[in-house]
Amino acid sequence: MLATLGFTNVSSMEGGINAWEGLRAAGPPETGMAHFPDGASPEVLLALAWLLEEGSRRFYAELSGSVDDKEAQKLFGDLATAEKHHEESLANLYTKLSGKEAKADFHRALIPNGTSEDIMEGGMSVTEGLSWAKGKGVRDVLELAISLEANAYDLYIKMDRNMGENAKARDVFSMLMLEEKQHLSRLASLLDRKL
Amino acid sequence: MGVADYFKPVETMTAEDVRAFIGKKKPDEYNLVDVRQPKEYERGHLPGARLIPVNDIPDRHKELDLNKPTIAY
Repeated sequence: MLATLGFTNVSSMEGGINAWEGLRAAGPPETGMAHFPDGASPEVLLALAWLLEEGSRRFYAELSGSVDDKEAQKLFGDLATAEKHHEESLANLYTKLSGKEAKADFHRALIPNGTSEDIMEGGMSVTEGLSWAKGKGVRDVLELAISLEANAYDLYIKMDRNMGENAKARDVFSMLMLEEKQHLSRLASLLDRKL
Repeated sequence: MGVADYFKPVETMTAEDVRAFIGKKKPDEYNLVDVRQPKEYERGHLPGARLIPVNDIPDRHKELDLNKPTIAY
């Protein structure tokens, strides 16, 4: 996120505070930073965002049924619903920009292998994320969700910039950025209460 | 391109690299940012680390000099 906000030389410390203190905890699967090739069309970026939202929706829906903590169950359920709404916003924007109907599989022609790739925000595999979360405490799972939402926020900043002067697109991405920021705040607030 | 092709790894430093880096630099030559939550920071943090929880970064990143090397954890 810091790199996207203009910081030119940013590094993340591997293993976080545990590594600093000499501990070796098994962290969550690594996430990556979204980057788009020059000339990627708005339609392709919308398809990419849709696929990532779908991956995140599945991830949160599964988590809401598997975590023990009631507040986390509720929050993950809310996030799954929110990601579904984001998919609808992205599909509607695709229709406005392309003039084509956003059918259920509109992304298939734009990112041919997308549906089979099992990927969510940050480029993380949904299966790997769920597997890692299995049996973990609520704090660990909330930390993973926070990193996913930070990646989602970062993604929409980049997509917003990529849309240039397209006001319709920028309105949608501004709304998505704001909502991802709110998700981040809700997750952070719950984590802080669980610490 | 597949979905995974739209992501690249984040630059990382090992804890040993960070220790060596802050050992040879003056504190005002870099940003060391703790992006965890306040209670985690209170329990222990790297020397000189500034707390900006990840959810506050969108609103508070301007407190940092974006031209300095920045290490986050």
